[in-house]
Amino acid sequence: MASIGKLHRHQARTGYLFITPTLLLFLIFTIIPVVMAFYLSFTNYDVLSHMDWVGFDNYRRLWLDSLYWTTFKNVFFYAVIFVPLNILISIALAMLLNFKRSGVKLFRTMNYLPTLTSAVAAATVWIWLLHPEYGLVNGLLSYVGITGPAWLAQTDTAMFAIILVTLWQSVGANMIIYIAGLQGVPDYLYESSKLDGANAFQRFVYITWPQLRPTTFLVSTMSIIGALQLFDQAFVLTQGGPGNVTKTPVYLIYQQGFNQLQMGYASAQAFILALAILVFSFVNMRLNKSEEPIV
Amino acid sequence: MKKWLSMISLTAMIAVLLAGCGGTKNNNGASSSASSSSAPSGSASASPSDAPAGNPVELTFWGDWGGEGQKQFETMVDAFNKSQDKIKVKYVLQQDMVTKFLTSATSGGAPDILFWDRWRTSLYAPKNVFHPIDDFMAKDGLNKSDFYDEALKELTYQNKLYGLPLTVDARALFYNKKILADAGVANPPTNWNELEQAAIKTTKWNGSKLEVSGFSLGDNGLFNMYLQQAGGTMLTDDGKTNFNNEKGKAVLAYWDRMLNTDKVYKVGFEQGLGEGTDAFATGKLAMTLSGPWMLSTYKKYGKDLDFGVVPPPAGPNGDKGSVMGGFGLVIPEGSKHQQEAWEFVKWWTANKDNALLWAKTSMNIPGYKPALEDPFFKDDPFWKPFMDTLEFAKIRPQHPGYSVMEGDALVPNLQLFQQKKQDADTTLKKAQERGDQLLQDNAQVK
Repeated sequence: MASIGKLHRHQARTGYLFITPTLLLFLIFTIIPVVMAFYLSFTNYDVLSHMDWVGFDNYRRLWLDSLYWTTFKNVFFYAVIFVPLNILISIALAMLLNFKRSGVKLFRTMNYLPTLTSAVAAATVWIWLLHPEYGLVNGLLSYVGITGPAWLAQTDTAMFAIILVTLWQSVGANMIIYIAGLQGVPDYLYESSKLDGANAFQRFVYITWPQLRPTTFLVSTMSIIGALQLFDQAFVLTQGGPGNVTKTPVYLIYQQGFNQLQMGYASAQAFILALAILVFSFVNMRLNKSEEPIV
Repeated sequence: MKKWLSMISLTAMIAVLLAGCGGTKNNNGASSSASSSSAPSGSASASPSDAPAGNPVELTFWGDWGGEGQKQFETMVDAFNKSQDKIKVKYVLQQDMVTKFLTSATSGGAPDILFWDRWRTSLYAPKNVFHPIDDFMAKDGLNKSDFYDEALKELTYQNKLYGLPLTVDARALFYNKKILADAGVANPPTNWNELEQAAIKTTKWNGSKLEVSGFSLGDNGLFNMYLQQAGGTMLTDDGKTNFNNEKGKAVLAYWDRMLNTDKVYKVGFEQGLGEGTDAFATGKLAMTLSGPWMLSTYKKYGKDLDFGVVPPPAGPNGDKGSVMGGFGLVIPEGSKHQQEAWEFVKWWTANKDNALLWAKTSMNIPGYKPALEDPFFKDDPFWKPFMDTLEFAKIRPQHPGYSVMEGDALVPNLQLFQQKKQDADTTLKKAQERGDQLLQDNAQVK
């Protein structure tokens, strides 16, 4: 017994030693900055000359900052449309391309390509495509007799344009995750259900979808987090305009911190955003109940 | 024993790993402030006066202009280095210069000279990160009246001057001569009314497609300029918004007429048209308010783009207005060679020949007035209107919260107005309420 205990201790020690470098990096680059940001949110830190304790002043100001809550409303609106569409399209693409046939890999690659482009570069190209007079999108619409809107300049279409561009860029990666998920679904389930006379739709509803639950959980969590942190595309495509309809919390935090040097206030904004992300991830976890596939 | 050995070797490995991390971190810190590494060696040779010849003081000059701009800077830096042998300046391109300066100003890696977008001064000067140059000015007997007054004002905080203007600019009216002539407009417009009439005549619609826009209304940020032309100012003297009044309404009424009654423009028309497809350059826009920075771009088109420039049209009561902007050179408080840095700043910005060399190299208007008496500027039909405009152009209000007020309160409401989502009264009222709040929130910088 004693020797087994000793062995365990030895293994534990070696194990801890092995994870030490990673954990140290995690501590230095993640935990400490988070704690510092939390502390800074109670100060008037401006990088250059101040770091005085101001108590809850930043949070009080934040509570009254209508623009901050507008940006939250914007990203929620974005998330409500973006997340379900993201899941739907990626799962559809995955099922479409989950075959072993020649050429299928080419299509997978092509669907994955947008993910590889830089968000800023792709957004710049989309600005051209979405131009009201000379853009490809409105050009195609005009062939069928529709006068397309000024996508990025109008308050009612700007957010949809951003949803479109971000979807285009994110479905590829999620498609790959779903293909991996689909290939993990055991064949015997399909075979037996076929024997029982289940049609394709029933097979999807009762086998594929439940089996993909952990995959969906992963994809939905990542897209919720990504949605609430929307920045690049909104920054490049519309600069938060028109009329603040595409301004996002991260955009505001950046502006407050680096343009106005009010790091304390920006930290408070960032903390509330982090809390919101945490809450929504939890809600999502509840909705998806179990992470385990039902076999 | 063996166990101990493995333990020791493991710890050693980790130590090496960590040292590696720490080491690279230090290296990054050092390379980000190349000046600081050279600074000690420089200061070892004490002050420049008794520095032995052949061992020049090395200065670091930070700017965020890359590409063409970098070459222009390097031309000036090389010329300076050749002009004497006591000081050697090196240009370092910092893409994200302001953020980089933030961290370096506190950690000791500050550059000796900083290329500075002047309007930011009101936010940074109160934090004591720049060295006031009043003493240098007095000692060298430089005359403040040789510089554009407004530009110096923008570099001043609490009666202390923090730098000298390198460039000055202001927007004027660019017009396409061919389009105007074809539409029967003989002379470029000089006031709002003429501008409106000319815009109506030059605008061309093809069904629901706008083919040629008479006048660009794409930039809501130019509200400040229109307001000056209507005889107003953006802020009151005590730091509140000052546009929710008749003057502000006059601007919005003018915009509304041009956009919705005369239909000379369409919201979003120019968005996403880069340099190669610029609406004015490609003849899709007859007139636009732009600055001297576009001259070299438009001149590249040669015969294909026959254009002219006139000072911006005057408002209904004859008021003229334009917003002055531009860059300056400042000396950070963290620099160890402020005297030498000043020599460089003075050589570049306060010397007729050098200011002119800079102007010709970069196609910018220098802030030093004696240089502007050169025929290069005086007799040029493209520079002349800008010179005239600069005579009455005003800088942006020096309130640290001004840019936030403009960007978050005013422009979004103007966009809603242009898209007919709210009327003029609501627009100005909302912009005022929100703007006053933002000005107040961002007023305190000290």
